[in-house]
Amino acid sequence: MPLNARPVLSALARNRTGAILVALEIAIALAVMVNATWIVAQRIQDIERPTGIDQSNIFALAIAGFTSDFDLGSSERADLAYLRSLPGVIAATTSSAVPLTDIGQGNGIWRQPGERGPEFDVRSVQVDTEALKTLGVHIVAGRDFTATELLPYTANQPPSEVLVTRSFAHKLFPDGSAVGKAIYGSSGSPLTIVGVTSDFIGSVMGPPSYDQLVYAQQPGGYGMYFCLVRTQPGKAAALMRIAERHLAADNPNRVIFEAKTLGYYKQRLDADNLNMVIFLTTVTALILAVTCLGIFGLTAYNVSSRTKQIGTMRAVGARKSDVVTWFLTESAIILSAGILLGCMLALGAGSWLSSAYALPRLDPTYLALGVVLLGAIGQLAAWHPARRAATVSPSVATQTI
Amino acid sequence: MLGYYLRLAFKSFRRTPGLTALMAGAIAFGIAACIVTLTVYHTMSGNPIWWKNDVLYAVTMDSWDPKGAYDAAHPQMAPDQLTYQDATYLYGSNIPRRKTLLTLVGGALSGAPDQSIPLSVLTEATTAGFFHMFDVPFEYGGPWNAVADSGPEPLIVLSREENDKLFGGADSVGRTILWNNLSFRIVGVLNRWYPQPKFYNLTGGGSGDFGRPADAYVPFRWDAILHRWPGGSMGCWGSGHIDTFEQLLNSECVWITLWVELPTAARRARFLDLMNAYWVQQHQQGRFQRPRNNHLWNVSQWLAIHGVVSSDSRLLLRLAFAFLAVCLINTVGILLAKFLRGASLSGIRRALGASRRQIFAQHLIEVALLSLVGSLLGLALGALGLLGVRAMYAHSYSDYGAAAHFDPHGILWALVLAALSTLLAGLYPAWRIGRVSPALYLKSQ
Repeated sequence: MPLNARPVLSALARNRTGAILVALEIAIALAVMVNATWIVAQRIQDIERPTGIDQSNIFALAIAGFTSDFDLGSSERADLAYLRSLPGVIAATTSSAVPLTDIGQGNGIWRQPGERGPEFDVRSVQVDTEALKTLGVHIVAGRDFTATELLPYTANQPPSEVLVTRSFAHKLFPDGSAVGKAIYGSSGSPLTIVGVTSDFIGSVMGPPSYDQLVYAQQPGGYGMYFCLVRTQPGKAAALMRIAERHLAADNPNRVIFEAKTLGYYKQRLDADNLNMVIFLTTVTALILAVTCLGIFGLTAYNVSSRTKQIGTMRAVGARKSDVVTWFLTESAIILSAGILLGCMLALGAGSWLSSAYALPRLDPTYLALGVVLLGAIGQLAAWHPARRAATVSPSVATQTI
Repeated sequence: MLGYYLRLAFKSFRRTPGLTALMAGAIAFGIAACIVTLTVYHTMSGNPIWWKNDVLYAVTMDSWDPKGAYDAAHPQMAPDQLTYQDATYLYGSNIPRRKTLLTLVGGALSGAPDQSIPLSVLTEATTAGFFHMFDVPFEYGGPWNAVADSGPEPLIVLSREENDKLFGGADSVGRTILWNNLSFRIVGVLNRWYPQPKFYNLTGGGSGDFGRPADAYVPFRWDAILHRWPGGSMGCWGSGHIDTFEQLLNSECVWITLWVELPTAARRARFLDLMNAYWVQQHQQGRFQRPRNNHLWNVSQWLAIHGVVSSDSRLLLRLAFAFLAVCLINTVGILLAKFLRGASLSGIRRALGASRRQIFAQHLIEVALLSLVGSLLGLALGALGLLGVRAMYAHSYSDYGAAAHFDPHGILWALVLAALSTLLAGLYPAWRIGRVSPALYLKSQ
């Protein structure tokens, strides 16, 4: 009812402080809600990004020799033979790195020899020829390693054949197929890309990445290696215990450690993101709740302190719905002011976040949704006291309280 | 008078129990959120050896590839570890009062009574200075002496947890144990020692910045003798292929941390002079082809350059304060409304001779009482929240949940926050009600 605008405004003007405080609250709540939701959306995207490997059915073991009798090459062969013979095991490989952990190594790769041209950072791993089957990664172009291409760990020269992930292949050769092309490490000898694999997250340094490079070589650096084992669904944890016990007893010249499923590592990788999601969601919900209580409290106070006015209005002909509209209009004005200020705050906070925390710029859709949501919840909070106001009897006007 | 005001406050609370609970609850939630984030932040940004902050220095020199910086994102930074040749040369200097070399190696402990399979132990290959410089507490025995460093003598120090596993917590000093299949004599067992963050080793590898310290400690030179490859992080550049341990020792790979104790500015200057002279000499021989970047980092600088405080926790801290602000604004609004509604009572009291100051004091006491209840509730909620945080971070890489204890620091913060909240939330409404003209309210009665 437009004719109600003037009394509403003048009532507001007489109780400025309360209204300003609630508007301020609404502004902060909107800014926090919109940006927190934006961050949560990014984190959920991170958590849900496919790893590209069958992590729930793979376990990893670390094996390190500590006596002079320890022979790395024969130990690796014996372990693989044992693991592959275990019922329930689908495939097993030795590896120099563990996917989804920071255990592993990184390299620079160039398209030209002699470290000329742009450098591409990549995580690299030395594995057995059954690696792709173990990880659940498949070839999308070219071919897998053949059994004869596996280099022993003692090899003095770097391997000459490599696999790269689809993402990394695209980064190296955006204009065409990477298969058959040569790339170069810092040692300068060419590495021929024999195949391109589906994307997977191998070992990570900083944010998880699909940029991975795979060699077929027995891992032997640091006097240790990892075994990765893929099992039939649901058998990883049990088979891991069996394998750990057997391998420890089998050869007294080494220790077995870090027996973990890749599911555990995935959980650990996501923990910080998940915690952030929980924390941000909780605080946002609480801020919304407190803000609603603030709106509710202010309207309720206004209603109870204006009982006599309401009675008078009703006595001179205002309908119940007019009273409700009066209070809802008042709260709508406060909400709009708060939301307007909140939009500016939200955008300011958003641009500060994107520069200080390298976050993508706030999507305006989030702001729009936030405005609609907060507006609706805010009006809902004012609804109950406004309804109560309508029940004030016109006879109140004639009483001297 | 105070008793009377308190009685008035209680009366007022009883008049509007729902509103009172709402305000106290809002204050409590605001304070709890702040306590939780502050404690986590404090744990992460803490300097666990603050009393030696300007005495202990980590040493860096830029020995990296002339073609590109060690860390492309921070090209002005030298590698945070040293090559074997540089570390051992600088370690040889007598300028520092104490000094220590650190590198992590993998190892296996065996040969303890009743031990069936070897135990994998993360081992810190270090020097006697480590225990003295970092004030490492011992439960049994003590560090090996400096002579054992140069031997090196086969001596080992175990962490308390490892001694519990192998010897059931008994005094094992003097017993021998096999470390990587060689006989080592146990000279000391550490007491519980869990510096947060693990300031002396932030270079990656091992258990992370907030993980547990090493399980065992052996003299640094055993590493070179046994050819144990680094078990922590290692950075290499150049085309030389490294197959043997000798090649590693002569390589440009960085994998060793050097800490020096330089208590005076004069010693610091002399040590920097030594580094600079060494740099010039090596530069002329063809190494150190990047700009000279010799640096001594005190503990807090070392923590800062490693970005130990995650940006998440900084963000959460700010969010918590925004939340507290909303809670306080909310409380101010409700208090104001509540006080003004009771203005007629105050009008009568004013008319009966109460001064503005007295009305102000009366309402302030009501607010203080409310904040007290809110803060106590907030403290309890905060403790619960911290339990939650510890559970949440149990799986995390950063693992700092283990250290998110409800320490005296957190309680202090809670008290400060409560006092501040009271002032912020209560001052204005109490002042405003004191300004009410009594006549206006008396008239309408």
